[in-house]
Amino acid sequence: MKFSFNWIQSFFNKKLPEPKKLADLITLYAFEVEKIEKFDRDFILDINVLPNRGPDCFSHLGIVRELAAILNLKIVEQKPKLIEDKENKAQDFIKITVSEKSACQRYTARVILDVKVQPSPDFIQERLKTCGLRPINNIVDISNYVMLETGQPLHAFDLEKISDRKIIVRKSKGREKIITLDEEKYDLDKDILIIADSKSPLAIAGIKGGKKAEIEQKTKKVVIEAANFNQKIIRQASKKIDLKTDASWRFEHGLDPNLTTEAADLAAALIQEFAGGKICQGFVDFYPKKVLPKKIILDLAFVEKLIGLNIPQVKIKNILNKLQFGVKERGVGKLEIKVPTFRLDVSFPEDLVEEIVRIYGYQKVPARLPMATLIPPEKNLDIIWEYRTKNILKEAGFSEVLNYSFLSKEDIDNFGLSQPKLGILEIENPTSADFQYLRPSLITNLLKDVKKNQKNFKEIKIFELGKIYKYQNSKTVEKRRLTGLATGDHFYYLKGIIDLLLNSLGISNIWYKECKPTPEESKISIWNKKKCAEIKIDQEEIGFLGELSAKILDNLKIEQKVVMFDIDFEKLIKLTNEEQEYQIISTFPAATRDIAVLVPKFTKVEEVLNKIEIAGGEIIRDIDLFDIYEGEALPEGKKNLAFHIIYQAKDKTLSSKEIEEIQNKIIENLEKEPDWQVRK
Amino acid sequence: MVKTNLNLLVKKAQKEIEKSRNLKELDGVFNKYLAKKGEISRILNSLKKLPKKKRAKVGQKTNEIKKILAEKIEQKKQKFKTDLKEKSDQEQWFDITVPGKKIALGHLHPLGQIRKKIEDIFQSMGFSVVDGPEVETPWYNFDALNIPADHPARDLWDTFWLKDVKKKFLLRTHTSPVQVRYLEKNQPPLRIIVPGRVFRHEATDASHETDFWQVEGLMIGKDISIANFKAVIEKFLQEFFGRETKMRLRPSYFPFVEPGFEVDIFCSACQGNGCPVCKQMGWVEIIGAGMVHPNVLKNAGLNPKGWTGFAFGMGMNRLAMMKYKIDDIRLFNSGDLRFLQQF
Repeated sequence: MKFSFNWIQSFFNKKLPEPKKLADLITLYAFEVEKIEKFDRDFILDINVLPNRGPDCFSHLGIVRELAAILNLKIVEQKPKLIEDKENKAQDFIKITVSEKSACQRYTARVILDVKVQPSPDFIQERLKTCGLRPINNIVDISNYVMLETGQPLHAFDLEKISDRKIIVRKSKGREKIITLDEEKYDLDKDILIIADSKSPLAIAGIKGGKKAEIEQKTKKVVIEAANFNQKIIRQASKKIDLKTDASWRFEHGLDPNLTTEAADLAAALIQEFAGGKICQGFVDFYPKKVLPKKIILDLAFVEKLIGLNIPQVKIKNILNKLQFGVKERGVGKLEIKVPTFRLDVSFPEDLVEEIVRIYGYQKVPARLPMATLIPPEKNLDIIWEYRTKNILKEAGFSEVLNYSFLSKEDIDNFGLSQPKLGILEIENPTSADFQYLRPSLITNLLKDVKKNQKNFKEIKIFELGKIYKYQNSKTVEKRRLTGLATGDHFYYLKGIIDLLLNSLGISNIWYKECKPTPEESKISIWNKKKCAEIKIDQEEIGFLGELSAKILDNLKIEQKVVMFDIDFEKLIKLTNEEQEYQIISTFPAATRDIAVLVPKFTKVEEVLNKIEIAGGEIIRDIDLFDIYEGEALPEGKKNLAFHIIYQAKDKTLSSKEIEEIQNKIIENLEKEPDWQVRK
Repeated sequence: MVKTNLNLLVKKAQKEIEKSRNLKELDGVFNKYLAKKGEISRILNSLKKLPKKKRAKVGQKTNEIKKILAEKIEQKKQKFKTDLKEKSDQEQWFDITVPGKKIALGHLHPLGQIRKKIEDIFQSMGFSVVDGPEVETPWYNFDALNIPADHPARDLWDTFWLKDVKKKFLLRTHTSPVQVRYLEKNQPPLRIIVPGRVFRHEATDASHETDFWQVEGLMIGKDISIANFKAVIEKFLQEFFGRETKMRLRPSYFPFVEPGFEVDIFCSACQGNGCPVCKQMGWVEIIGAGMVHPNVLKNAGLNPKGWTGFAFGMGMNRLAMMKYKIDDIRLFNSGDLRFLQQF
């Protein structure tokens, strides 16, 4: 909110610090001053009043009270003199009926007769302009002026335009309409609180006045309304009709109901001074339940405990007094605090501690490390495995990305993610079409990363470890997923990366099962059906490895092949194992023999490996496929597989003869297959 | 007589070994003394003539000498070989300015690195790291945190709502809901931090993002004070930035704390003179914090009596931007490897 430096100064006899300095003080002790701006002979202070302080500080008086406490200054009261005309009584001119009592705690009106509508005096116009308001005429300007000074929104009606001189505060009957002062038309539905006369709406309560009882050049008799409307009702109405005003903004933050008379008096006195006229005697005041100051018992030991500093009692009293709290001693170490009714934000002892410590100065609070039991923090294994996983992939040359948690409609369609059983979650109020859904998979955004990066990088190796979101069994489910990719024809490379990763996480028994999507799935499958495998650990499937289908890649205009893995990280970490056991290193030498087998092109390596293992038994320590060859020198439809076989016994040195025997046994076993031929 | 001869022979042979200047000359020495027809063999052969007792003695002595000489020759031989290799190394031309072979390591995301750093610092002070859901209910995101419905305070957090599940779910706007979730299951005293993604319904620009990272902190005990908060955060900032960091607290408002304050750090870019980094203020706001509101403890099912504590929240993207001098918050979610591979 914009404040006028000169206006604030007018409440103090003592000269205030220059604007920049004053702004720093306000920032440090109360609210952040966002900007200081020279404006004519004045300065605008743009103060970011905290929302809980709206009730008292959306007003110059509020800031003045703060400064009185911060700078320990005395406030100069400057109420203009109010002279009432004893001949005319306000209640004889206007009747107020509040039919919606829960929505209107108080409704106060003053009546002024024989006013002369004209431009307001310079100082009022200047102050309004400094605060960003446009001067209109003396009556309207004074209502705004009083609002800026006290925080109480006012509204001025032309008395003679009010049918039957009756003001009714009620909910709209529905189907009612109003044309506001700025010539806008609003339909008022049933929940909206309005000010009406006996015939039709005069104003949208607490939000905006209507054209019907507008103050005009010829207006002579004025009704000043100072009311207190329920904050929730005003907030809802303001949202519903999508209209925010200086008044609605103040009402929705709440206001002190005791403020209405003070504000109405100030307005009446100013009108009398600058628009002439006679102020009718008294108010018309609907205020069935007077709000009294709250009392809070403040335990000084608690104050010290919460701040961690002993502030002398005299100081505490002085601070609270300056902020207009009443302070009384109540036994040893206890104070009874009377909270002024404009401090709607204060109801707990903690609230008082805040007032004390901020005005005393946070900079005076020492830094003292807490006394706490010496216990190590709980080890969060989930996070430890996350870091370990990310590090392994990093060391293997993969870069970590963090993508948006959102997907667009187009993504959903391209990747076939809209099937109901996937339970995709849609955002009700997306900021753009790109952010319409929560991602049910990390694959989409990673592929989009490839698309973005392919013009700058020939080879892309990236991964993300992040959450995916779904709606399942009337619950939202979020799970961590580990998804990564490499560009190029790198299926076996990526398979090796997964083996490396899983082994490093202490997982063995990894195997890969050919992926056989159901016909229904295959229609939308993003995988190349021929190059896709389930990653299995024992009997559990933990994810997929595969090459992306040409259709998906073409759709995204990705030029290279892409191989991806997509792993359920929650399942994975359940299988990880930190335990390691030392395996005795055999003291007997190992021997390596090679074997090359010519097999039909469609023979799987695993079949060959199995035969070698079965025939070799325990003596084989390792088998290493080092070459796959298909080509010219070979017969049509055949390929050559070459293995290193490493032999080692735990209990003796193998003689060449023994090795020869096993090797022959393996060859024999391999050649049992009619189409296989061991090359000697 | 034999003895003198042997001693002389050894001396002579050693001298010749020393004098030999190359492998060829050394071979000559070997042949002269140690080869089948060399001096030593000759002596050994001549032993047959000696009486048995003496023969054994001289024989032993001769064999020892043979061994010593063989070792000396071998040593010298090795030296010649090493010299030869060194010489050839010296003669080779080698360019050390050729660029090193590129080893492609991957990179961890800067936010992940920042997160790890934050976790390490707080864990060293006894804080446990905990996690919570990103899709939240209004209760945990707002009501339990003392932010009632239809209250202007809610406007401080622009919220994404999920469709179809009528105002039942939202994307958490801060990591603070985990405070309540954790308190429901754990008794004070306690110390936790909660790093995680949060979401704000905002237009994005260089300093605003819809999907970013925060870390929440919570410490509750019998006598936890503002002074304690100051010390813990001072320690954190010092460790995080690797230097003494000037900070200040100023009043602020978050409904789930009371008193509430903001932590500003002195702008190191301009030394407090005002610059774009600190929006001309000389200070940069980095942490929202305060003393846990008794209503939050109540809402988590705890009796607030006797317990006090502090809570704080900070934007990890912001911290990363300050640490690495990154000027656009959108880079974090961009997936741009030109950015990511710098970390």
